[in-house]
Amino acid sequence: MRNEVIFFINGAEHRAGGEGVFQTLSRYLRYDQRATGTKIVCEEGDCGACTVLIGRREGKGLRYRPVNSCIQFLFQLDGTHVVTVEGLSRNGLTPLQESMVRTHGAQCGYCTPGFVMAMAAMYEGGARPASPADVRSALTGNLCRCTGYEPIIKAALDVNGQPAIDDLFPPAPIVEALPNGEGVRIGNFFKPASLAQAIEFKAAHPKCVIVQGATDFGVWCNKRGFVPEAVLSLDAVPGLDELRIEGDELHVGGRTTLAVLEEFVEGKIPQLAKILDRFGSPQIKNAGTLAGNVANASPIADSLPFLYVTGATLELSGSTGVRNVPVEKFYRGYKTLDLQPDEIITRVRIPLPAAADSLRLYKVSKRSHLDISSFTAAVLMRRRADQIESVRIAYGGVGPVVLRLPKTERFLAGRPFALETFEEAGPIARSEITPISDVRGSADFRYLLAGNVLRKFYYDVR
Amino acid sequence: MAVVGKNVPHDSARGHVSGESLYVDDIAPARGEVLVDFLWSPHARARIRSADLDAARKVPGVVALLTHRDLHHNLFGPIYKDEILLAVDECTFRGQPIVVIAAENAEAIRKARAAIVIDYEPLEPILTIDQAIAAQSFFPDPRIIRRGDADAALANAEHILEGIFENKGQDHFYLESQAALAFPEEHGALTILSSTQNPTEVQEVIAHLLGLQMNQVVVETKRMGGAFGGKECQATHPAAMAALAAQKTRRPARIAYNKDDDMHATGKRHPFQNRYRVGFNSSGEIVAAQFDLYSDGGAYADLSPAVMGRAMTHVDNAYFIPNVEIRGTVCRTNMPPNTAFRGFGGPQGATTIESVMEEIAAVLKKDALDVRRANCYGIDSRNTTPYGQIVENNTLPRLFKELPERADYKRRLAEVKRFNESSETHLKGISTTAVKFGISFNTKFLNQANALVNVYLDGSVQVSTGATEMGQGVNTKIQQVVADELGIEPERVIVMVTSTEKNNNTSATAASSAADLNGGAAVDACRRIRERMAQVFRTSTAAKGEIVFADGQVWDAADLTKKMTFDDLVGIAYRSRVSLGERGFYATPRISWDWTTGGNPFLYFTMGVACSEVLIDRFTGEMKVLRSDVLMDIGRPINPGVDRGQITGAFIQGMGWLTTEDLQYGAQGELLSHSPTTYKIPNIHDLPEVFNVDWIEHDNPVNLYGSKAVGEPPLLMSISVWCAVKHALSFVSNGEVARLRVPATSEEILMRMSHSRAAVAQGVQR
Ligand SMILES: Cc1cc2nc3c(=O)[nH]c(=O)nc-3n(C[C@H](O)[C@H](O)[C@H](O)COP(=O)(O)OP(=O)(O)OC[C@H]3O[C@@H](n4cnc5c(N)ncnc54)[C@H](O)[C@@H]3O)c2cc1C
Ligand code: FES
Ligand code: FES
Repeated sequence: MRNEVIFFINGAEHRAGGEGVFQTLSRYLRYDQRATGTKIVCEEGDCGACTVLIGRREGKGLRYRPVNSCIQFLFQLDGTHVVTVEGLSRNGLTPLQESMVRTHGAQCGYCTPGFVMAMAAMYEGGARPASPADVRSALTGNLCRCTGYEPIIKAALDVNGQPAIDDLFPPAPIVEALPNGEGVRIGNFFKPASLAQAIEFKAAHPKCVIVQGATDFGVWCNKRGFVPEAVLSLDAVPGLDELRIEGDELHVGGRTTLAVLEEFVEGKIPQLAKILDRFGSPQIKNAGTLAGNVANASPIADSLPFLYVTGATLELSGSTGVRNVPVEKFYRGYKTLDLQPDEIITRVRIPLPAAADSLRLYKVSKRSHLDISSFTAAVLMRRRADQIESVRIAYGGVGPVVLRLPKTERFLAGRPFALETFEEAGPIARSEITPISDVRGSADFRYLLAGNVLRKFYYDVR
Repeated sequence: MAVVGKNVPHDSARGHVSGESLYVDDIAPARGEVLVDFLWSPHARARIRSADLDAARKVPGVVALLTHRDLHHNLFGPIYKDEILLAVDECTFRGQPIVVIAAENAEAIRKARAAIVIDYEPLEPILTIDQAIAAQSFFPDPRIIRRGDADAALANAEHILEGIFENKGQDHFYLESQAALAFPEEHGALTILSSTQNPTEVQEVIAHLLGLQMNQVVVETKRMGGAFGGKECQATHPAAMAALAAQKTRRPARIAYNKDDDMHATGKRHPFQNRYRVGFNSSGEIVAAQFDLYSDGGAYADLSPAVMGRAMTHVDNAYFIPNVEIRGTVCRTNMPPNTAFRGFGGPQGATTIESVMEEIAAVLKKDALDVRRANCYGIDSRNTTPYGQIVENNTLPRLFKELPERADYKRRLAEVKRFNESSETHLKGISTTAVKFGISFNTKFLNQANALVNVYLDGSVQVSTGATEMGQGVNTKIQQVVADELGIEPERVIVMVTSTEKNNNTSATAASSAADLNGGAAVDACRRIRERMAQVFRTSTAAKGEIVFADGQVWDAADLTKKMTFDDLVGIAYRSRVSLGERGFYATPRISWDWTTGGNPFLYFTMGVACSEVLIDRFTGEMKVLRSDVLMDIGRPINPGVDRGQITGAFIQGMGWLTTEDLQYGAQGELLSHSPTTYKIPNIHDLPEVFNVDWIEHDNPVNLYGSKAVGEPPLLMSISVWCAVKHALSFVSNGEVARLRVPATSEEILMRMSHSRAAVAQGVQR
């Protein structure tokens, strides 16, 4: 078992141990390494100024994805290669940087290194953006206050001969030198190489936090001064990155990131793909996991209404074996879970909606992208001719946990599929929720949405 | 080959894209440096009964805890000297600094902050304009602009419209939060590196607060990671706190706010509440109007009176109002002092009348564009502003004709109407609005600048001015102008760090006019140098004709055999003991202003017309901008690429203010949306799906190379988006005038739709 983490930055090996591993990558870069191209603005994953590429082993090589370095901790980097704007510029400006210069894609320049890194990711694996829409979706996670984005979109589409990161940093020697699959233990940080060890550690440290993408955990640390008693990483536990369709179920391993899930469900579950498109940003989704979204138990977590209406089950692994808990039963109150101290979510099993069923997922937020929802909803309906056979409805942001709406569901079942039916259902839906007013919206707004979204559903599927 | 008018890349662009450009907090720590931060008031208003710093002093790593007692003076302010840096016995806004903490590291600062014990007695705060009006809590000198007899004309008007326009504030959200570094020098002097738009103000305030002469304080600004007005006055506070720490500890001192503290502690764009009574005839022509503007100035005056002045001189926007009365009152509240923000009151004034235009159109069931055209300032008549300035070189009528044609407005308006009749799920709106933005500081004496131009022995050139670079490209424009003046390549010219050591008594880089003023001063310096060099040329070549400087060469226009390189001529001039450096000066001509008599506060106006179309989800209130067309008169741009970026950037920033940027406060005035998680500036997906930006070819003979200022005016082009929302709402308002506040968030839109549609009938039941 190693007692330090080993990673590379811009082709050079770095090792970290002790308390230092709890430092964020952005601070390590800026203040320890004086690589100040990476900027810190929000320290909560919401602006992208700190974007770097992290290369992880995939097959024999490295696959680079953009992440927010302000909510990545050094302990998460074990076995990776980090490329910063300084690394990208190692042989001079690359064509995309030249393009940014030409098109006035940088004004004050503070967001620019983050944009450049997110743009570089668009050119990985032989890909390149074909349309402004491609660019927008790749740059969702980067805020710019100066340019109005228009020049940046132009710059991104006007690039020829952009090298891949592998061209700048030949992967073979790095892959060779990076650790692979072995366990790490540094004080109260543990990265075991087996599930059994993970469960054992968790049992021994009931207050330990499983840190996966750290997209929630990082914000607690940076903004609320949270100091974990112990940290457990599942990165080296084999099998948790499973992602496949098994019969009429989708199986999502406990470590599967939202980005990988999004790529997978594209075309298979279009509604889920659509909601994942509006989930955070590429940087967030490259780090964050579905299990993390479930375990974080936010009433406005975007995956939950979908998991509720499809009847998803969580596979929980603990010292005494495996339990399967329906996702709806998992939440006992605001952020209280049916999860034993020694248990880990190892899999999410999602029954696939039948082709004939109508599924719609809704997310209402102040800004269309990279925003936490004010209100979420999922409606899954089975219809026979002009009659509603059955319907499942889940709302988020209207109570301490995501809610099913049993009265509304019962009301709708058996009634004609008509606008009036859904209009009449509105007041019933409102009677089933208890929204509050907060920074993301007033209770009145949410009451209105709770009714309106049913009418919207009618029009969407009619 | 001239470079003015060419698309030269931003002079820092290569550094920006490679991450090499340095901002204040990127500078490596000096040996012995202390970190500086501050404890701020958690109350909007409270008496400080006692403060106990003993425990905090004992925290390991704490170097100094400083309070108002450590200041030489504690009173400053750009207009009125009414602001204190460190609270004495009463806190007047939440976020107000009380104790400055200097420590070895961030951990010690955190612990020290927690260990400071302050006994507060919370007092009833004033948090809103309404509360301020009720308490008659105003800053001195409400202002009035008056022409004709509004009362009488209103009494006779065919139609009267009354209403209130309300807007929330806007956080600047520059990506680089406030930051400064202070270095102690010999004999008590200080050098400050500050992320400020106004090095002179930082210098003046620090000298005053710390008991130094101004000549003992040097302030340098290399660049800012965005500013937008937020670093015009309010960069002074962090710089002063760092300076105080450096003075007292005799160690270099660094302060860099985090985003949350920055948003809590700094002032914002002013919330306004503008009441209006407008009289108009059946063709939509306004015959009289009364505007009563109230702004929330916050706890100290800062620039609020000047912002109000600009709001009052922009509430007419592009429209002639024969009889008019405009009152402006700045409320004193317990919010952080509100301050400059791109547009400087102009947007709040102009949005008010653009909103009125939509309402007149709704009342008369007319096309709002026709109403606007009917009221637009004329070329030869109906062309005097309420404050008496003639709108010269007026391109508004032309823009109002060309832009709707380019945008295919008429057809799309008809299409919008058809769509709204048939769609049960969505609503569309379209609106064409204008901007007429006065260029020059409203305060006359600020309209001056100086520039230092040094030509070196090898013919390369350094320019220093008081302009600060915040991304807007002012340095690039000055570089281009100097290159052309001296007839050399732009690569031979470097614009240096802005420093009070080289340029004294400079004005803030603000009011969009930094290139006009500082460029003008640089031109003055170049021309004097060129004149002397031409004399040297004549002496050494016996040239008789006009001496031309171009393409790195100097020649006699009358005899082309008399020619040498610029660099060679520099050598000859040097050996002839002729000065190759110069200080230029510029003072804006022709301007005059007096609150009682009016006058010509502006040298010229930057103008534009924009058309936006929006799509609204009837069930959620979510809004999307389908298309925006912008056509401006920005004179002859010195750098079209830079100016285009100013237009797109300002438009989107304005759109943020008008739509998604929603400052939310708790009951005690605590800012709840204090980071990008909850405060939503526009994202790349918020760009209009189709976004056409262009300008007309039109000379501006009164300004630098025929150019016009472009920093602020296009922000007001985004009012078209908000008015398009208002237009959409007019389809569901049951004959009533559709009201709308700023920002038009999805919630605001949905609530308005639901009320106006009496969808409340279906009702919010609990
Ligand atoms: C900028 C930003 C934008 C965001 N946008 C969205 C959004 O649009 N929609 C949305 O829903 N959320 C959003 N989030 C929240 C967050 O990204 C998600 O909740 C994400 O899925 C968390 O996954 P993670 O792997 O990063 O969790 P971590 O932060 O690593 O962990 C979160 C919690 O889950 C627990 N946990 C993780 N894995 C397991 C497991 N296998 N078994 C048991 N417990 C586990 C951890 O112990 C911890 O308590 C956003 C966050 C940020 C910072
Ligand atoms: S600093 Fe804003 S996302 Fe990291
Ligand atoms: S260039 Fe200033 S924030 Fe993007």
